[in-house]
Amino acid sequence: MISANPGQSSNPAVRIENLDKYYGTFHALRHVNLSVERGERIVVCGPSGSGKSTMIRCINRLEQHNGGRITVLGTELNDDVGNIDEIRREVGMVFQHFNLFPHMTVLDNCMLAPMIVRKQPRAEAEATARRYLEKVRIPEQALKFPGQLSGGQQQRVAIARALCMQPQIMLFDEPTSALDPEMISEVLDVMVTLASEGMTMICVTHEMGFARRVADRVIFMDGGEIVEEAPPEEFFASSRNERTRQFLSQVLGH
Amino acid sequence: MEMVVVAPPAPGRIEDLRRRFLATPLQALLSLVSLAIMVFLAWKLLNWAIFSAVFTTSGGPEACQAAAGACWSVIAARWRIILFGLYPFEEQWRSALACVTVVVMTVLSCIPAFWTGRRIALVWGAGTALYYVLMKGGVLGLAYVGEEAWGGLALTLFIFVTTCLIGFPLAICLALLRRSELPWISRTTGIVIDSVRSLPLISILFTFAIVLPFALPQWLAGDKLYRVILGSALFFSAYQAEIVRGGMQGVPSGQEEAAMALGMSYWQRIGRILLPQAMRNALPATINQFVISFKETSLVVIVGFFEILASGNAAYGTGEWRFAYVEVYAFIAFIYFVFVFSLSRYGAFLERRMSVGER
Amino acid sequence: MSSLLRNQKVRNTLLQVLFVGSIAALVLAGVAIARRNLAEQGITSGFDFLHKSTGWDVSFSLLPATANDPYWWFFLIGIINTLFLGSVGLMLATTVGTIVGLARTSSNELARLLGRTYVDIFRNIPLILQVFFWYALITHLPPPRSAHEAWGMLLTSRGLYIPFPNVGGVAMALALAALIAAVALPVWLGRTSHLSQPVGERLIIQLAGTAAALACAALILIVGRLPDAPLIDFPALQGLNLRGGLRIPPEFSALAIAIAIYGGSYIAEIVRGGFKSVGKGQVEAALSLGLSPWRVFTLVKLPLALRAMLPILANQYVWLIKATTMGIAVGFTDFFMIVALTINHSGQTLEAIGILMAGFLTINLSLAAVFNRINKAIALKGNQLRG
Repeated sequence: MISANPGQSSNPAVRIENLDKYYGTFHALRHVNLSVERGERIVVCGPSGSGKSTMIRCINRLEQHNGGRITVLGTELNDDVGNIDEIRREVGMVFQHFNLFPHMTVLDNCMLAPMIVRKQPRAEAEATARRYLEKVRIPEQALKFPGQLSGGQQQRVAIARALCMQPQIMLFDEPTSALDPEMISEVLDVMVTLASEGMTMICVTHEMGFARRVADRVIFMDGGEIVEEAPPEEFFASSRNERTRQFLSQVLGH
Repeated sequence: MEMVVVAPPAPGRIEDLRRRFLATPLQALLSLVSLAIMVFLAWKLLNWAIFSAVFTTSGGPEACQAAAGACWSVIAARWRIILFGLYPFEEQWRSALACVTVVVMTVLSCIPAFWTGRRIALVWGAGTALYYVLMKGGVLGLAYVGEEAWGGLALTLFIFVTTCLIGFPLAICLALLRRSELPWISRTTGIVIDSVRSLPLISILFTFAIVLPFALPQWLAGDKLYRVILGSALFFSAYQAEIVRGGMQGVPSGQEEAAMALGMSYWQRIGRILLPQAMRNALPATINQFVISFKETSLVVIVGFFEILASGNAAYGTGEWRFAYVEVYAFIAFIYFVFVFSLSRYGAFLERRMSVGER
Repeated sequence: MSSLLRNQKVRNTLLQVLFVGSIAALVLAGVAIARRNLAEQGITSGFDFLHKSTGWDVSFSLLPATANDPYWWFFLIGIINTLFLGSVGLMLATTVGTIVGLARTSSNELARLLGRTYVDIFRNIPLILQVFFWYALITHLPPPRSAHEAWGMLLTSRGLYIPFPNVGGVAMALALAALIAAVALPVWLGRTSHLSQPVGERLIIQLAGTAAALACAALILIVGRLPDAPLIDFPALQGLNLRGGLRIPPEFSALAIAIAIYGGSYIAEIVRGGFKSVGKGQVEAALSLGLSPWRVFTLVKLPLALRAMLPILANQYVWLIKATTMGIAVGFTDFFMIVALTINHSGQTLEAIGILMAGFLTINLSLAAVFNRINKAIALKGNQLRG
């Protein structure tokens, strides 16, 4: 397990400063501060409604923040559409419900964005797509449709699809929560491989085993705030906060 | 001892009939009454339409009028005016060919192989262009026939085709505007759509035909036919926009989010991800709308167009054939029935096929 | 500057302003051009024309109308005509549609076949063709001197003449109200009774209510009889024309029949859809409780089907009211035809179109509001239902 050096550097992959987000009058994110270095693997956990999905969805502008600053790869995330497009090209996202395009084959799902967003020629896009499908270990499913695959297979295709854009940062929003238990490990294996290759990852998940194995830092969020943040050994063995300990006992207890 | 499974004895024919139709006194009564009605109507109809009917033109209208049954010779005598209106006699083959073009175009649109945006646009564009060239002429050695002489079934089909051709893209635009996140745009569009849908089609056609020339500068007023088609297309698009919007609402929001996360632009998302899935959802209702639109083309008779209804009225007119209105209307009804029934049956078939595919 | 245009918020505001602005500009331009064109023809704008007399007649009116009446009176008559034809058409269509719809959902195959044939035939023929057909049929009937006769009613090419009570206007209106009450009372009484009351008792109360209302109606008619005239006015031939009784014009009959048949075919499908949507589980539960098929129908299937049908039925009713505008094809002076005639005769195009749009929007919104209230009143409470 590679451990990067957590700490402020002058050029982090993602810098979140005093992030505020409101849904109407509901204060979903309260003055969140987070800095993620290149190559760092962050796992975010917490009870539902704690704002963890909201936070990472703010990073690729699927949600608009109301206060504070988000800087991704040196570019500030604001109302400038050019900035937004640039950031989305470099940030890949994997969703809880896969969100594969059902009317296209697996291969087309993976080739689409590189061809129309990065303007790659078809042959190049196809080669990239097949390479990543190989990497997630389902190259034989290339011409099937998403509806014909199992949940675990679909999520692996979703990861390949995001990777085909060759992003610098990968966001995971509860990637295994919608999977049947026997399929969780095949997806986690892919994510572990990705982590070992040095990809910057921010992962919202309940899979604590994965966090222990792969994360450089584990972050616990509750009520819209970051309550605790620490390397995994420290986090699991001797967390400093009462709320963290309560949550851990609930999640790890069963 | 082994259990041998044997199928229960199949009920005899008489048993089966008894069970289906005579199970209880009420059922027996219902069956009898229904049967009586069916037999009575069928007998009356067959008698009038076939057995006592006159099919030839030998006796002329007087002999026909004297006959007890239907007088189908009126169709033999007047079919040209019903189908082609006042189109010049020697050129009516062009009108017929144009109608065939429309039928072919519709049939092709129903084949799944053609269901991509590009191919449908190609089929409809080419079909309409071919229709226009055939009817209007003036090129390729064909004699020129202005729109005033277009009539009958050919005019009905033209109005239907152009209404759908203009109305469909307009509907998609309206649907996209309606679901916009920008409040001024979505609300204004909503008001426009709801107002158009509240008004009767006849009043819209009337407004476009007669009132609009006042509100337009001289050079923009155009021919009455095209103004009416525009009005008809607007009405079609208001209803179709709601259907498309319904289809869009059936596409999970995660689809657009995934597209956004991959960096796709608005038009890329709409064109490649949202619309294909939305149209698939909206297909049965869309076909239903096309069927309704075809029936509604008949309303242009009110603003003075010589489409098939008006030509039917002219066919029996006030002259020697004036008694034969039932036969003429039955003939026109049959033509409508063929088009409308096949389209709606196809729509029902599609709906069944699509609901089978869903888990 | 370019960085400003790349700002999402700026873009959004700009788009909205452009959009609403262009629409407003188009509308204003249209109105301005129209005004100029109309002024060139010597037509003044404004709604003063509403007080001028029309100089032309209407073919059908429930209220007295002559060529000397002002335009606003004629518009009122038009709206009443539309609503009247609409209501009659709606009631007939609902009756036809219910019968055919029940036939379509019955367990008897022959009835189902009959229903399906009806729907397939009449749904696929345009309404206006059906209107033309019935109008041609009626106007080809024998002239008044050789009219068909049955029970005092006379069927001629000039319309259907039926014997009618000779009573004053007020009495007529009251009697009509009593008749409506006769129909509405059983429904109202049935609504507030409980299942704990024996069926026989409830039925007697409902029938008593109806009988009382009918007796009231009869009494009003007898009391309101015009002096020096027999109670019932029978139509009779006088010269070349028929006099007396109530004349139902061919235009009205043709429209009413066509709307009843065409609308009925659509309503039949809506009824069928409503019954289909009743969950099989509910019916099975009712049967396993030992309820007879009739009780299952009235207590479970019908109420649930009704709730499912209502929104779609509301849509259909709105459509049917709009369909009354076909009256112009056969000369029935409904609201739209009066607007068209107004434009023709007075040239007040913009104002008349405005009145037309306002009229139909009002009718639609009111109908929608009424049905929304009914929907809310009968809707199933709560949102925890599953499957």
